[in-house]
Amino acid sequence: MGFLSPFFLVGTAAVALPLYLHLLRRHTTTPHPFSSLMFFEQRTQSSIRHRRLRYLLLLAFRLAVLVLLALAFANPYIKRTVASAAGDKLMLLVIDNSFSMRAGTRLADAKREAISILASRNGSDRAQVALLGSQLHVMTQPIRDPAVLRAAVESIVPGDSRNNFGELTRAARSIQESTHSPIELHLFSDMQKTDMPASFQEMALPANVSLVIHSLAKDTQPNWAVESVHAPSRVWDPKKAHVEAVVAGYHTPSASRTAALVVNGKVIDSRKVDVPAGGRATVDFQNLNVPYGLSRCEVRIDSDDSLPADDSYLFAVERSDPQPALFVHESADARSPLFFGGALASAEEASFALDSVALERLSGVTLSKYAFVVLSDLGSLPQQFENDLARYVRGGGSVLIAAGTSAAHRGRIPLWDAPIIEARDYSRDGERFLSVAESDSSHPSMQGSQGWAEIRFYYAVAVDPSGGRVIARLSDQTPVLVDKKMGEGHVLLFASGLDNLTNDFPVEPVFVPFVKQVARYLSGSEERNGSRLVDSFLELRTAKDQAVSVEIIDPAGHRPLSLKEAASAESYQLTSAGFYTVRLANGTQDLLGVNADRRESNLEPMPNDVLALWSGQNSADFKRLAAARAENERENRESLWWYAILLVLAAAVGESLLASRYLVTQAEKS
Amino acid sequence: MVQRFLDPVVLAEIASLDLIARTVVDGFVAGLHRSPDFGFSQEFAEYRAYSPGDDLRHVDWNVFARTERAYLKRYRGETNSLLTVLLDASNSMNYASGKISKMDYARFAAASLFYLAIHNQRDAAGLIVFDDEVRNYIRPSTRQGQINRLLHGLELAEPRARTDFAKPLDHFQQFLRRRGLVLVISDFYETPEKIIRTIEPLRFHGNEIVLFHVLDPKEIRPELSGPAILFDLETDRHLEVTPEYTSDEYPQKIQAHITSLRDRARAAQMDYCLLITDQPLDAALRQYLTIRQGRN
Repeated sequence: MGFLSPFFLVGTAAVALPLYLHLLRRHTTTPHPFSSLMFFEQRTQSSIRHRRLRYLLLLAFRLAVLVLLALAFANPYIKRTVASAAGDKLMLLVIDNSFSMRAGTRLADAKREAISILASRNGSDRAQVALLGSQLHVMTQPIRDPAVLRAAVESIVPGDSRNNFGELTRAARSIQESTHSPIELHLFSDMQKTDMPASFQEMALPANVSLVIHSLAKDTQPNWAVESVHAPSRVWDPKKAHVEAVVAGYHTPSASRTAALVVNGKVIDSRKVDVPAGGRATVDFQNLNVPYGLSRCEVRIDSDDSLPADDSYLFAVERSDPQPALFVHESADARSPLFFGGALASAEEASFALDSVALERLSGVTLSKYAFVVLSDLGSLPQQFENDLARYVRGGGSVLIAAGTSAAHRGRIPLWDAPIIEARDYSRDGERFLSVAESDSSHPSMQGSQGWAEIRFYYAVAVDPSGGRVIARLSDQTPVLVDKKMGEGHVLLFASGLDNLTNDFPVEPVFVPFVKQVARYLSGSEERNGSRLVDSFLELRTAKDQAVSVEIIDPAGHRPLSLKEAASAESYQLTSAGFYTVRLANGTQDLLGVNADRRESNLEPMPNDVLALWSGQNSADFKRLAAARAENERENRESLWWYAILLVLAAAVGESLLASRYLVTQAEKS
Repeated sequence: MVQRFLDPVVLAEIASLDLIARTVVDGFVAGLHRSPDFGFSQEFAEYRAYSPGDDLRHVDWNVFARTERAYLKRYRGETNSLLTVLLDASNSMNYASGKISKMDYARFAAASLFYLAIHNQRDAAGLIVFDDEVRNYIRPSTRQGQINRLLHGLELAEPRARTDFAKPLDHFQQFLRRRGLVLVISDFYETPEKIIRTIEPLRFHGNEIVLFHVLDPKEIRPELSGPAILFDLETDRHLEVTPEYTSDEYPQKIQAHITSLRDRARAAQMDYCLLITDQPLDAALRQYLTIRQGRN
């Protein structure tokens, strides 16, 4: 017997209180004089003794309540022996159906071996079949029917998930706690080294789970795979778009492979690539000539290895006309639209057409057709336009505001709720400029933007950043780039100008990637990704799109969501490799290329000593423990918390009855 | 008005025992004048026909002159008695639930009796104060100043030690030369058998014995609000008692003790009088006069 929370036993010290009240305080009664105790005879003492016994009984109840309460909180448990009779043993057959099991005949071998194990088992043993992918999927309950178990094994098909033996350990522990039986776990797997968790400790199985490993990969097999593809998800000008693929060889000799770019089933380009021994090579396809609309693309290699499923990498590309973006500026400001438009045009994959409009010509502008809006150093906006812009942002649109000298003169930034605290002209100070001291590289607008520290800021406005996310600060802690969410949209504030006067940002190299990332971020296109990994989750709707039906068609052509799920599901796990056709709640049609995790492509098995250590067959300690387990009964911790609480209740009831009876007696007598 | 002077609580306010005794007796006598049943001193009682051998001094010659028959004239209280008070001065007499203790009450009663006997009856009166020994003895006398000696003896009688009847009474018998009236004032915390057995020899000498049993009202019906520890004033013994016992069983026991003592006293031809300390003092005086009258 032990305690799960032994420090609660300190609470037993509370018994001192009733002991003091009953035993010590009782004797402090002042004796009263009486002429003669001649008539207070033995019967009087007997009465007192009787009462004292009642006091002691009451004291015992009270002590019991306190002690049992402390015991209950200390959570006592007993190690109950678990019968290790053959009839109580559970045989758990776990068959790995991860992506790597597609190599050769591994899965077929695993199923065949599992069926043979089932056939040789003791008929009185219960057995359970489960398959192991990213999680453990139980296929049967613990049963003895061999036909059902065999059918479950035969129904297993190869999957595309990545295996993780840590999940197996957690699931085995959970099953053991629910069944209270010793488990004989048979694992049929290729025992990939990459499937091990980060810490071997996570693979430690419970004491009464014995692991039998049926390794299906005796040696490391060479394997080539398309490890990754970098391609734009949206293409405006095919001549500007290019695809970069990485071909990896795992335990392979150096070899020359042919990589092909396939669009909608047609090979549009192919290249020879020399892959070094056990290394990687990059293939660049310069022309992504895809038709308008969504296209199913893949990069394919000829590998002739045992795992052909990883020889192609799927991705989807959408070709469309450039999206218009509105750039509003003062009529006197010709520099900022020039710099911003130039940067946007030179950015690859940025399919935006900048519509530059002077402030005086805003009438008649329809905001809804623009992917995003840029307000470049405006002192004020027409009220009607500002109201429209606020509605546009709340409805999901996004705006970049550059606050230069004009905005500072007005004392207010359009659309930004907070006033300008101060306009800071650094050109008049000692060093004549300030640099960016800290930046948040995790923000989408900062990705790929290096060299912010090189920018010289001569002028900036200080605003209250509360309610927003400060992305960059100057060395005097002035927020220079702040992102604030308004409704469903975003407002990105750049606290300086986009011209070349208040800073030298437009002529710095970092300006082009910044404009490109800002454009993608504000337009929402950076969220679109043409390729995903198996077991990743796809977000189906936002908060404003509740109760709108979505549609998913999986690679097999099925609709995996029921009508109810289609109307309510927030996300969907992509469980198979292939192309998913998706209609999201906001009405967007999309195509996703889903690929297996390429860590599954490395077919190197675990070292034998690690396998032996895990299954406990090699180490002397494990052998000794196994022998001890065989000799001794299995033990299981069973908490006595509920019993302690029941005893507390019983003692409390007894105490109440006795105390109330005593009090009633006293009241009647007095 | 008269009864008020017999109230022990009122008497306790008076410092002088002499004054207390005088107040009690005067008040008591004033009350008796309205009663046809009692008389004292040289008061006429009856005529009786002369028989040979009678003292001729008692013949009423006026009646003889008118009727030529000799009658003897009888008076009440024509004989002087000898009054001896045995006062228990043990520690238990010190118990008091109210303003006056049993010892105070016993002193008042004894003082009143002495005053009544000496001033009104012309009796000789004496005092023996005892606990487990004879602590004070004042020989019965009618001499001048006897009342003062007796009252001084009472004032000196402070309770202490335990009650033991055997030893002082044995001693008392040595002093007892003449027959008379013996009043024993005590709380009698002893078995009735032993009390009677110890006092009975006095009766054999021809004495009239009266047991004045002095008890506090709370000794007859104690009141406890909860379990309490009591200690014996004589033995210093401690005992834990409960309200249930004191309200149920103890009153029965003390009542049985009183009844037994009274029955055994009467069986031994002794008189018994229960004096409760919250009652007026006239019961003791009345008892004394009744017995005094009976002796004549």
